[in-house]
Amino acid sequence: MARSAREASGETQTRPARKTISQPGPDTRGWFRRIVIGVPFFWLFALFLVPFLIVFKISLSEVVTAMPPYQPTFGSIAGWWSALKEFSFDNYRWIAGDPLYFNSYVLSLGIAAASTVLTLLLAYPLAYGISKASPAWRTSLVMLVILPFWTSFLIRVYAWIAILKPEGLLNQLLLWLRVIDQPLVILNTPTAIFIGIVYSYLPFMILPIYASLERMDQSLIEAAADLGATPFKTFWTVTFPLSLPGVIAGCFLVFIPATGEFVIPDLLGGSRTLMIGKTVWLEFFTNRDWPVASAVTVVLVIILVLPIVLFQRVQARAQ
Amino acid sequence: MKSLGSIRNDFAPWREPQAQPFIRFEAITKRFGQFNAVDDLSLSIFKGEFFALLGASGCGKSTLLRMLAGFETPTSGRVILDGDDLAGIPPYRRPVNMMFQSYALFPHMSVAKNIAFGLKREGMPKGEIAARVEQVLKLVKLQDYARRRPDQLSGGQRQRVALARSLAKRPKVLLLDEPLGALDKKLREETQFELTDLQYELGTTFIMVTHDQEEAMTMADRIAVMDKGRIVQVATPAEIYEAPKSRFVADFVGDVNLFDGTVQAVDRGRITLQTSAGSPFTVTSDVAVSNGQAVTFVLRPEKLRIAAEPLSGANVLEGEVWDIAYVGPVTSFHIRLANGAVVKVAMINATRESPLQLTWHDRAWLQFDEDAGLVLTA
Repeated sequence: MARSAREASGETQTRPARKTISQPGPDTRGWFRRIVIGVPFFWLFALFLVPFLIVFKISLSEVVTAMPPYQPTFGSIAGWWSALKEFSFDNYRWIAGDPLYFNSYVLSLGIAAASTVLTLLLAYPLAYGISKASPAWRTSLVMLVILPFWTSFLIRVYAWIAILKPEGLLNQLLLWLRVIDQPLVILNTPTAIFIGIVYSYLPFMILPIYASLERMDQSLIEAAADLGATPFKTFWTVTFPLSLPGVIAGCFLVFIPATGEFVIPDLLGGSRTLMIGKTVWLEFFTNRDWPVASAVTVVLVIILVLPIVLFQRVQARAQ
Repeated sequence: MKSLGSIRNDFAPWREPQAQPFIRFEAITKRFGQFNAVDDLSLSIFKGEFFALLGASGCGKSTLLRMLAGFETPTSGRVILDGDDLAGIPPYRRPVNMMFQSYALFPHMSVAKNIAFGLKREGMPKGEIAARVEQVLKLVKLQDYARRRPDQLSGGQRQRVALARSLAKRPKVLLLDEPLGALDKKLREETQFELTDLQYELGTTFIMVTHDQEEAMTMADRIAVMDKGRIVQVATPAEIYEAPKSRFVADFVGDVNLFDGTVQAVDRGRITLQTSAGSPFTVTSDVAVSNGQAVTFVLRPEKLRIAAEPLSGANVLEGEVWDIAYVGPVTSFHIRLANGAVVKVAMINATRESPLQLTWHDRAWLQFDEDAGLVLTA
């Protein structure tokens, strides 16, 4: 008893000294945590929110032949107030008035929606197949899905030109197989855009669906079978509903970038398909109308962000 | 047959020679690669039985259950249910339902929808489904939880929903895979009796897989003890405990003292055994043995008396108190004999104040009756 008491008192004497040497105090740890969390937020703030606010500010400006090609500009602190008074929503009114922009938005959303559905139809069976493969195979198959990322996106889209053009690989193959006797015109049509988008965004759809399928409890499938559900019924009543979070995540990951896609429609879709990305490009570089281009961009962001926010609200309430 | 244990068994179709088995496993083998999960196993289960497959993990008990459910196909042999060979019948067409160890409740459906799932697949009319759902929910006392989702239920409630769901289709056989494995001790004990009562009420044949011998003994009419893909003994809980067929069963079910001995003399059902534990034991046994034969003597801890003073008479062991555990209903002693062997003794605490006062390293004397133990040749 006496000995243990002595040991205990010895312990309390040595403990504070040890603590300050080897362990960071709660203060430093708090700071560390704040920095770790703060860095990505700063990144988003500096490289997304600030540029977006600049774009928004330009969208309220007026086009002029100058450098930069809009006014007002914030020359000095004193000029701020007068500059603010010059802001107007004229560019938004302009966009609303010209059916070119409206059509361009509708076309972009339509192409994005259709190619999201196509991607989903292709990606779901693939993800399902991978999740059903043996564990040894699964890793390799997932590797294969992300393998295309090792090559530049631009090069892969250029490669599709070589495949799809009238004298390209696809037509040569089909002619050789005597499936067709005239080369198909695919390049510079919406079909080529669909092919390009589905190809490019397929991994973004496969991976989240695979993740949700892979972590699904296999005994649920067995339970469904045990209760009399055929494999087909089991899929639609259990497997698919439970993979919905993955499906939704994949659809967002495809739909959002596909809506603003510029490279694929520009290289594969030809000049007749005017998607919103191309419209912004034309306003910026051909018309040099930065304010209208900015307004088109801001409207696009609103179109995309609002439904996502609403959807997440609904999701959060459902849980 | 002499009665073992203290329960009279009125329901015992396995003792009636003309009774037809409801489920028959005929020479079943299931091979996974080089490993025989189930090895040339035959077993008959009767209608209305609560049957338990008991064994350590990897003994093949779950595989056997899954072959009945249709999730595994036997490598060879036949599974026959109510006269029908189940070969080639997929799980969704078998008249059996399973309660899964993980419960496998559909997380995206309410309790009522979970239970209705199987009924809908049958094409039952909506009104009937609602009535049936209500009926089984009542059976498991969860009427007020129909609209909850599985993640809003406690472990015990989830277990009941799983049970209700597997009973809703009124299967010919209910399969239970470690039904109480995920419950805490108190709840498990309550549920054991509820399950037994429910089975009695419904008259459905229940087949349970468990590694918990207490669970098997509490609930089952008969137990099949399994080891390495084979059945080592099929018998009632009392027979398994009081008359194990082999050393393995004796050791697996309950606490036991095993003495290796040689037969010194046999005299009209009384055997004198020489063991290294001390003076020879005199025990009654109807096992046919001959002089000099090596046998195992099985003695359950509660069948020994313990005293702090030397005891007279036959079958006395002397040793030192090595360990004591006061468990409440019993006090468990570990007595170390002169030969180094440790004998387990369980003393029933029949009175609040114990007449026996022993502590660590005291001398203690043990005694057992001639018919307290069992002579095994296997």
